[in-house]
Amino acid sequence: MVEIWYAIVSFMLLMFVVLEGFDIGAGMLQSVVGTTQAEKRTVIAAIGPLWSWHEVWLVALGGTLMMAFPAFLADWFAGFYLALFLLLWTLILRGVSIEVSGHIADPMWRTAWHFCFVASNVLLAILIGAALGNVVRGVPIGADGKFALSFFTNFSPRGNVGILDWYTLSVAVFFLATFAAHGANGLAHRTDGPVHDRSLRLARHLWRIVLALLLVVTAETCVVRGELFAGMLHQPFGVLGLLSVAGGLVAVFAGLRGGRGSLALVGSSVFIGGLMIAGAAGVFPIMLHSTLAPEFSKSAYQMAAAGHGLAIGLVWWPLALILAGGYFAFIYRHYKGKVKLSEDTQIPY
Amino acid sequence: MDDTIFWSRLQFAFTISYHYLFPQLTMGLAWIIVYFKWRHLRSGDERFGNAARFWAKIFGLNFAVGVVTGIPMEFQFGTNWAGFSKFSGNVIGQTLAMEGMFAFFLESAMIGAMVWGEKRLGPRSHFIATVGVALGSWISGFFILTTNAFMQHPAGYSVAADGSLRLGSVSEFLLNPWGMVMFAHNQCAALVTGSFVVAAVGAMYALRGRHAEYASIFLKTGTLVGLICSFLVAFPTGDRQAKMVARYQPVALAGMEGHFHSGNYVELNFIGQPNVKERRLDNPIYMPGALSMLAFGYRSAYVPGLDAFPEDQWPTNIDLLYYAFHVMAGLGTLFILLMGLANIQRWRGRLERSRRLLWVLMLAFPFPFIATTAGWMTAELGRQPWLIFGIFRTNQGVSDVVSGGNVLFTLIGFTGLYFVLGVLYLFLIGREIAHGPPEVSHG
Repeated sequence: MVEIWYAIVSFMLLMFVVLEGFDIGAGMLQSVVGTTQAEKRTVIAAIGPLWSWHEVWLVALGGTLMMAFPAFLADWFAGFYLALFLLLWTLILRGVSIEVSGHIADPMWRTAWHFCFVASNVLLAILIGAALGNVVRGVPIGADGKFALSFFTNFSPRGNVGILDWYTLSVAVFFLATFAAHGANGLAHRTDGPVHDRSLRLARHLWRIVLALLLVVTAETCVVRGELFAGMLHQPFGVLGLLSVAGGLVAVFAGLRGGRGSLALVGSSVFIGGLMIAGAAGVFPIMLHSTLAPEFSKSAYQMAAAGHGLAIGLVWWPLALILAGGYFAFIYRHYKGKVKLSEDTQIPY
Repeated sequence: MDDTIFWSRLQFAFTISYHYLFPQLTMGLAWIIVYFKWRHLRSGDERFGNAARFWAKIFGLNFAVGVVTGIPMEFQFGTNWAGFSKFSGNVIGQTLAMEGMFAFFLESAMIGAMVWGEKRLGPRSHFIATVGVALGSWISGFFILTTNAFMQHPAGYSVAADGSLRLGSVSEFLLNPWGMVMFAHNQCAALVTGSFVVAAVGAMYALRGRHAEYASIFLKTGTLVGLICSFLVAFPTGDRQAKMVARYQPVALAGMEGHFHSGNYVELNFIGQPNVKERRLDNPIYMPGALSMLAFGYRSAYVPGLDAFPEDQWPTNIDLLYYAFHVMAGLGTLFILLMGLANIQRWRGRLERSRRLLWVLMLAFPFPFIATTAGWMTAELGRQPWLIFGIFRTNQGVSDVVSGGNVLFTLIGFTGLYFVLGVLYLFLIGREIAHGPPEVSHG
């Protein structure tokens, strides 16, 4: 039961990172791939109708964690207090800049909001990357079972750690590049004209950087939490994750070489998904790894909800997911194909 | 530690009050837009199509601010109220997860299509998307009110050996009678907010002699929905809610009314200032026996006063609780009178020419927001000092690893961010309203 719910919350996190990763990446590149106002609007139009559908996975994940792992939600959210609010504020800024930038067709208005849009996406990528780095590295839980992280201590990933150290910063940089590359794939697939051409060219460069950073971060992970790789190889999900990472990369490079945008986008989604699966399988069953001493770590079994709530959740959760799939199919039917600026923006005056 | 509680309570109160200004309009306006779109779909009358488009723009902005200010609410369960989450997550996690899975997925998939996608979807699918958003917002309301109902009147739970809560009966938890009454009361109030806003814009257009066709559509829809729902908010839903409070939270009722001394034939105070130190209400204007009647259905009924309860169970801010309740109830009564008058004038065909009444209708739109906020303050202040009424105190629920200074930091951040958000929202909404819906060409 606990394993199923661990898989479910990992799946929701995966969906959030893959889907939102596209929005964040495309948003970061807005000023690079779009030079004219119309091209910048095209980037927003590629995200506009879908960003709330992507961001909702994070919100639904919060609710599901409350149900399945209330103790984890309580410890983690309180422990990362300031960083979480920084994430929330950045999400607010990003959402607002998407929604209001189109309302007034004035160059000054647009320039200001497009700046907020790009800046908040860059910051989001770094924050999400650092958060994922923290999940892998662990937190300074002491004998009392509690922890509260500072933003930084001495930048070492051992002992009394802060949110940022050389390891989590590397992971943040890695995700910054990965989201940008994923976003470039998405834009190449979803747009045509100059935005498409620039995105495709950029994607080819970015994926080389991602590959290089992947090797660096993998080596660093071996140093910081080397035992995770043994864990991954010993269970089917870990192997699946590693294979997805490799397969996704092959698909990305094949797709970019052959100019097949959809293959490259599927590849980058599988690549990011594979990272999440491998990571989730690697750390399981420990959800809160203590950097102070292994015996203080807390496992999914310790933090899962007690009573028959989990069993009841298994009744309605799949039903809700099927319904969500239905809404998704209804919307995507209308949004497949290239972005058309004439159809996909609000009409300003 | 005490600072953490104080700032965390203030932060939650501020962020939830601010947040709820937006969903109440979303939930009310959504069905009015559905109605306009339905009229358009059925008759092809372009006026209704344009009316729906005009309100959808305002709705889109409103929805976006509602979403971005809503996410911090869910996160604060963990960040600021970790003790509460650990204690009751086994129970209320169900509704919070259901809200995300059943309501937010529906809303978020459909909102983009509703606001951005009329051309892509075509009229029929676009209508479905609009209904989806309206439905999603109400389902979300249901689950969050069920969660709140558990905090007001816990049902369907058991207490485990370690003292934390376990889910007992799912149906008792989800069908909590408190939740049902509160949902009906709250959703009617949301429709009041929506209808007042629509009527106010109609009144402004009528007074300025602009968009005459839309002015009459907005006034007609706004005042009719406004009258029906203002009435429903008071009776039966408000009345049932008051009886529920009298039965399950008698100490909160005593605080709401500034009712210090237990007795029979208890009066209902219209005006007066609570004086907790002297245990009395200053300068009261009241109706004898009316509180007994309201709470229990007969004039001689015994209503326990605050003196019937130990002081550590009294609501912690009786003064504010008293005013919140009286502002809500007073405004609610005035809404019925105003909308009644507007409808009489409309039936006589004179509403568009009753300039004084139009002025009042135009300026009345903020008051449903105030009344709803005051209503929620009544519910939440009345619940104090409990986080879950009768079983878990508010000061037990706070995150013990978070310092007061950290909470104040984020509270200041929210204040600044929300101020900017509010200015931006008012500017853009004002601009949309000043621009108005497109004129229909008659040819």
